[in-house]
Amino acid sequence: MDFDVISPKTRTALLEAMDACQDKKYRFGAGYTDLINDLNANPQEDLTVINLAQLQDEVFCNITEDDSGLHIGALVTAAQVLETPYVQTHYPVLWEAANSVASMQIRQTATLAGNICQASPSGDMSCALVALNAVCDIINTRDEMRIEPLADFFRGVKKTSLAKDEVLRSIFIPKNIQPKIKSGYVKIGTRVSMEIAILSVAYHLQADEKNIIAAAGIAIGAVAPTIKYTQTACEFLIGRSLYEIKDVVLENFSSQVLNYATPISDVRASAWYRTTVLENVTKTIFD
Amino acid sequence: MFHVNIFSYICRVFKLTRFRMNKNLKIIGKSTPKLDGKERVTGSAVYGHDIDLPNMLHGMILRTKYPCANIISIDTSAAKALEGVACVITAADVDVNMIGYKRDHPILKSNTVNCNRDEIAAVAATSKEIARKALSLIKVEYEVKQGVYDPFDALLEASPKLNERGKGLEQFGNKNMAESFHYEHGDLEAQKARSKVIVTKRYETSRVTHCCLGTSNITASYSKLDGSLTLWASTQVPFLYQRDIAHALKMDASKIRVLQPIIGGGFGSKLDMHPFEPICALLSIQTGKPVQILYDREEEFLASPTRQPMVIDLTTGADAEGRFTFREVKIVLDNGAYTSWGATTPFVMMQTYSSLYQVPACWFQADAVYTNNPFAGSFRGYGNPQATFSIETNIDLMAKELGIGKDEIRLINANYKGEITGQGLHFKTCGAQPALEKVIAESAYKEKINRGDTGRYRRGIGLASMLHVGGGAKIYRSDGCGTRLKLDHYGYLTIITGSNEIGQGSETILAMIAVEELGIPMDKIKVINTDTDVKPWDVGVHASRTSFVAGNSMLGAVKLIKEKLSKEAMKLLNIDAADFDYKDGSMYSSEKEIKIDKVVREMHFGSNELCVVEYFYEPPSSFQDRKFMGDVSGNYAFASQAIEVEVDTVTGNVKVMDVWVSQDVGRVLNPVGLQGQMEGGIATGIGFALTEEMIYAEGKLINPSFHGYKLLTSMDMPAVHFFPIETYDEAGPYGSKGAGEAPLIPTAAAIANAVADAIGVEFFSLPISAEKVLKALATVKENQLV
Repeated sequence: MDFDVISPKTRTALLEAMDACQDKKYRFGAGYTDLINDLNANPQEDLTVINLAQLQDEVFCNITEDDSGLHIGALVTAAQVLETPYVQTHYPVLWEAANSVASMQIRQTATLAGNICQASPSGDMSCALVALNAVCDIINTRDEMRIEPLADFFRGVKKTSLAKDEVLRSIFIPKNIQPKIKSGYVKIGTRVSMEIAILSVAYHLQADEKNIIAAAGIAIGAVAPTIKYTQTACEFLIGRSLYEIKDVVLENFSSQVLNYATPISDVRASAWYRTTVLENVTKTIFD
Repeated sequence: MFHVNIFSYICRVFKLTRFRMNKNLKIIGKSTPKLDGKERVTGSAVYGHDIDLPNMLHGMILRTKYPCANIISIDTSAAKALEGVACVITAADVDVNMIGYKRDHPILKSNTVNCNRDEIAAVAATSKEIARKALSLIKVEYEVKQGVYDPFDALLEASPKLNERGKGLEQFGNKNMAESFHYEHGDLEAQKARSKVIVTKRYETSRVTHCCLGTSNITASYSKLDGSLTLWASTQVPFLYQRDIAHALKMDASKIRVLQPIIGGGFGSKLDMHPFEPICALLSIQTGKPVQILYDREEEFLASPTRQPMVIDLTTGADAEGRFTFREVKIVLDNGAYTSWGATTPFVMMQTYSSLYQVPACWFQADAVYTNNPFAGSFRGYGNPQATFSIETNIDLMAKELGIGKDEIRLINANYKGEITGQGLHFKTCGAQPALEKVIAESAYKEKINRGDTGRYRRGIGLASMLHVGGGAKIYRSDGCGTRLKLDHYGYLTIITGSNEIGQGSETILAMIAVEELGIPMDKIKVINTDTDVKPWDVGVHASRTSFVAGNSMLGAVKLIKEKLSKEAMKLLNIDAADFDYKDGSMYSSEKEIKIDKVVREMHFGSNELCVVEYFYEPPSSFQDRKFMGDVSGNYAFASQAIEVEVDTVTGNVKVMDVWVSQDVGRVLNPVGLQGQMEGGIATGIGFALTEEMIYAEGKLINPSFHGYKLLTSMDMPAVHFFPIETYDEAGPYGSKGAGEAPLIPTAAAIANAVADAIGVEFFSLPISAEKVLKALATVKENQLV
């Protein structure tokens, strides 16, 4: 493995480095938990790695809360997400997903944007963020910003909408609008730790004082080429009481979720298993 | 003459152990940290991977692209021309012998390749990168053939002969049979006739691998000056290895020096010599420089040994009272393309079928069959986990049919002290029944069985027992071990033992014996055990034998050195007769005391004599005859496990909640070490039962990584409640028995029985994956609807 490394320390330096690499093959490196494995498996010649680990930029590096919601910098690690009480109390789905990433050691260095930009259909934090209707804050080499819902950012296995002159800067999660939340992340795998999801379900439901669901986000992972936001299943829940989702209504909800699943059979599980467990798991959300 | 000597040695050791059992012990039975513990946890331990010699080259192996093909041509010219490449070898460049237990395995393959591990060429270069690049420049032209991946297909007349050196047709009547074992005792038909219940099932076990955290490695250094070859190798059996390397390379064995750096896991995987080892030696011989080969994780999965996948057709019977009547079993082992020690696992399995519980009649047939799969090797338990899985599952089925408790039926049939089994195993001590009773009581088995949970999470409990050799196994001409002791004039003791440390803690046991017997403090004891040029013979680490055999050898040597010390001390103290006590570096006799270092100084400088002794111990076991009858081990270990699981009916996942294990270890020598063996074995057993599986598509491994191969982690470990049973067997040091392999042997069986108890469905194939469980639950549901 042999590559050049550029380590920008400021945003300006980063954009310059990206600009200088437009005619070359380059990759971003931050936590290196996936990149090194990837380069070992697929050796590349004449590669430049733009090392983000030394970048000192508030937007890239910090978690900030404002009236509209929470901004999480691209370089925030899974461990930092776990150390943020606001996440634990307001977005349990994200906290649980971050807590399920690989192992404690890997969570210390693996970054949020790394998890997202790998565009794996089984990305844990990605799945939670899709359920939370998170939005990407992307800048390009000319320092122009664009925003895009995370669900649209994913374009296929290992494919995102990110252009060669762009970098993901931060993620925005809208503030909860209702007093009650039912939020969680279900990860199905063989091991407790060091596991890639065979399938995952992220749900973040908000209800009013009377337990009527006013906002719903449900995303499923590892059952399609990208993480799927289950739009019609979410709409199906709006206006219903948290306690009425059972029997036929639950069956109906579950089949709405299943409509988004097009699982494959691979070394970890068969399509049959993924479909069956997805159905079973969606039915447990309201237990 | 030879036998008489051994007999007298044995008698001496027996007297010694008998004497010791009645005495208050100073350190034996007390938890003692491992001698290499500090190095291991601080990262200062030197593994084979850390060795870096001057001018060392890096070796790499080109493996076949296809599991079954003819090789049309090999062109190494571009690789040889690459700067930094010192040497490229193929079969055409070397003059070597076949390797493997059946000598059916070429080190480098020339005409055909037979499995996806096959080695075609090897390079030595100045860096790993150049070596890797060189491999990519070697052009091999193949004629791809259809492989045979199912042993039952391989047994068909129409199948091609898969290993051209195989002698199956001549020896066993089928060209693709690599090895075959037959054993029987008792009147099978009569026992069938008196059976009230007969259960027949087919069991299938998967291919799993050792997952040593330290990957396979070797460093070879050949001297062109004197023709000597030094190998830093992570073998478990250095003296057999020395002979195997010598045979492979057509060298004198004694020209080969085997040094054993610290091993990052053995578990049986290093019992065979594998092709990469003589290949590394050949690269060094050709270049005259040291060469190192290190596997990465993917190569480790691809090319290190596995447990034998087996198909076991088992029929068992019991009479109306639940007493076992017979076992009839036919086993087909997937031997893979070549034959390793693993093909001899039926030797151990037949002991389990013939003698685990009381079995009046047994008929056993096991055939290892060549396929185009990778060849299996030896693995902790040596066939016994597979055998025990089948037997213990059948026992539950028979109990169910007879309406007898699953615990009751086991207690009725438990092995007992004094029993001589149908195969001739003599249980001079036996903790089978106490172990069963212990786990039944501690787990509250009676209250928990048949709970009949109906919710999402369903608990179940399962029971299984095992029998394994506890005092070595007489399979090689000598199952013995030599010890040399050197006491220096500063009072330090050097133990030079033939036995090997591979993480199991046996060297610590030897040091503990020295502390116990000679009163020398732990920090004044050194153990030398890594150099075949220095240490005396030992057959190697296998069969749970090391603490037993090396411990007895140590006790023999201790007796001799005490005689020497006593003689000199009596002279110095001016007394005629004394029975010395050894404590804190001194010898005591009634009122008198003398320091050991002073005694040794007087010996050296006064009497001009060294304080050095040597002793060779051969266990009292015997060779089995041609019908495999005989008392094969010095003693026998018994164990039972009760395991509680929780099945998640939403996902099919099985979670192991608690393991209660009780094992007849003879006597506990080092409690913390023993607990480690228990937990490690059980972890491997749980993986074998539930999650681990090497998955192949047409002979190619498709999950060669820890992402795809589900080795469990510490986060998945249940609580392990361990209750040792002490039976004080006279044959073992301080009454102990071998304990290393036993903890994983009944685990899969107990888990399978627990899952069946939880959801009412039995499983006859391993692993019991979440998918299998969910499918079974879906089938039950469908049947209920119909």
